[in-house]
Amino acid sequence: MFLRRLSTAISEAEKSHFNSLAASWWDTTGPQRILHKMNLVRMDFINETLRSHVKINAGVPDEQKTFVPGWNHHNVLPGPVAESIQTEINRRIAQELSRPRLSCLDIGCGGGILSESLARLPMVASVRGIDLSPEVIRVADRHKALDPAITDKIDYQLKSIEQLDKDDQYDVVTMMEMLEHVEYPALVLQTAMQHVKKDGFLFLSTINRDLVSWLTTIVFGEYVLRIVPVGTHTYSKYIDRREIAEFVDETQFRVVDARGCTYVPLRGWVFTSLPDTGNYLMALQRME
Amino acid sequence: MSLRFLSTARAQLADIVIIGGGPAGLTLAAAVKNSPVLSSLNCKLVEGGNLIGPLNSFSQNPPSNFTNRVVSLTPSTISYLSDIGVWKHIKEDRVESYDNIVAWDGVSGAQIDFNGPSLATMCETTNLQSALLARIEELNEETGIMDNIKVENITSDETNGWPVLQLSSGESLKTRLLVGCDGYNSPVRKFAQIESRGWSYNRWGIVATLRFKNGEFRYPTGWQRFLPSGPVALLPLPDNWTSLVWSTKPEYADILLKLDDDAFLAMVNAAVKLPVEELEFLYNQAHEDPENLVGEITWRLNVFNDKLSPQEMEKYPLELDTIVAKSRAKFPLKMSHADTYVEDRVALVGDAAHTTHPLAGQGLNMGQADVKSLVAVLEKAMERGLDIGTKLALEPYFSERYPANHVLLGVVDKLHKIYSTDIAPIVMARSFGVNVLNTVPFVKDYMVSRMGE
Repeated sequence: MFLRRLSTAISEAEKSHFNSLAASWWDTTGPQRILHKMNLVRMDFINETLRSHVKINAGVPDEQKTFVPGWNHHNVLPGPVAESIQTEINRRIAQELSRPRLSCLDIGCGGGILSESLARLPMVASVRGIDLSPEVIRVADRHKALDPAITDKIDYQLKSIEQLDKDDQYDVVTMMEMLEHVEYPALVLQTAMQHVKKDGFLFLSTINRDLVSWLTTIVFGEYVLRIVPVGTHTYSKYIDRREIAEFVDETQFRVVDARGCTYVPLRGWVFTSLPDTGNYLMALQRME
Repeated sequence: MSLRFLSTARAQLADIVIIGGGPAGLTLAAAVKNSPVLSSLNCKLVEGGNLIGPLNSFSQNPPSNFTNRVVSLTPSTISYLSDIGVWKHIKEDRVESYDNIVAWDGVSGAQIDFNGPSLATMCETTNLQSALLARIEELNEETGIMDNIKVENITSDETNGWPVLQLSSGESLKTRLLVGCDGYNSPVRKFAQIESRGWSYNRWGIVATLRFKNGEFRYPTGWQRFLPSGPVALLPLPDNWTSLVWSTKPEYADILLKLDDDAFLAMVNAAVKLPVEELEFLYNQAHEDPENLVGEITWRLNVFNDKLSPQEMEKYPLELDTIVAKSRAKFPLKMSHADTYVEDRVALVGDAAHTTHPLAGQGLNMGQADVKSLVAVLEKAMERGLDIGTKLALEPYFSERYPANHVLLGVVDKLHKIYSTDIAPIVMARSFGVNVLNTVPFVKDYMVSRMGE
């Protein structure tokens, strides 16, 4: 067990740091701009994962099931036949994606950047966001009220993950840029896992503990380019992707996807093929 | 009625409100309704003038003559219109696509010809608009188009900053995203306090619908002669008809618009052939002695034509002998470019963001490319769960379109400037350049490929 254990509460220093960021949370040209930009790759990652795991025949009576060949029909069947099969599959996927059916839990929701984005997806029915900083929860609450399309879809609560009802389970649980801010990430991850429904997903993003991430997130991010405020990150709290993967192996979850991402000036955040370097995103699915 | 009564008390909510029912606004409305990602949005289009009536009457009972507002469409514009299901509604017997453009220097005579399959397609603006309307109606009976309604005032909502439009119908609309397709004097741009920079060319564009004398067969060709006062272009329409776009100085424009149809026709025939000095003499005569103008021009053209061999005759357009009555109109030419196309809750498209000299026939096509880009950006933003009215969501549209438009505006502007002079060294340099260009096929091919984009 590489991961630190015990209490999940974040330190007082972390809490006051996020409290002070609250005012500028939704200023997309302000200190949180990079987080708003990062949210774009998070959403791409979440979207792609959810889209590629849509079950179009689950709960559908046999005679209404869509035919999904278990083999590469494009290679075997004549063009027009394969095409019409694909069209039908795509139509059903689009139908599922536009049906509000997913419940989401955003742990460490901050000012609600990810919670709001999730709430706007047609496939999402409801979002619960929790955070430990009263200031940011207030900001999040105030901001969701500005958009009538999502006001009633989101519910923010000032509570820690342990304070959630033990039986509360969600189709999608997210923990973005959160594990590197808590004292005992293993416990947080374990607790979060309890709130994922079977076949549901846990998305997390954090930072590998390596030279690259130290240079990009702390040296350049905080001190040289001053993209994020000094004190946002603590190097010793970074967690390697391998550490999480090993932890997940001992649970009823499997790693579905892991992708590195990095900030490129003038281009914003882009995916990399190096999940073991710098920042990374991970998708876990509950198997049983 | 009850709906209208209610809405006066409280603003109706919309996701997208498009101001302006020109080609840009209608294309955006059609593209939004056509998009699987965006079609669920509540999208409205507000137009101050009478839009639906005239467009429907055009499609049901098209006029026998061509209307005078004609636009040049590039292949990429047409392919986009096909993609969003609009092109099939175009009355194809009223459009003409052509493979050749012949452009020549009015001072030196240096000529360049461009060839490419369907280099451009001439289409009446009304034809395009009515096809767009037909597509919108086909996609959704609830078109969201509100015509004969003026926007009296735009304010920002106090709580969430969404634009609130006060309409002349008494209704008010509150929208997540306000798109200005409202032309050069864009009220939306003014609301967003976006500065637009540029200059007037001190030129007027004169349009008219004309016809070549029936006789010898010619492939449809776009003709453009660069005179120091501005280029005169004859762009092909079906059945020997042609659309005139003549950019010229304000004083010449006044003279040309005062002439009767026959004298005007004679002046167009003169303008595509006679030397610049003779044309100046003719403007003078048109001003002082318009009665004898037709005779004078006929005599001068006869002298000119007699000197041409049959091969040389082919380098000039055929004689024009018909003009559609009352088809003459003029509009001012200017170049302008807005500092940005996006602000929180606002996007600018087409002429509201940029205007250009018509010499390259790019104005409408730039607007179409804007629409294509904006729709793709909105789709991406929807997939990412962004609020499509925020600047964060809209920024990629600006960063994609601004540089491309800026380059094109600049190239067209330089072309205008290089050709609006008769200073000898510049004429020599530009003619030398054109003569070289005309003999180097790969450079020309590259230019043709760029023109089509």
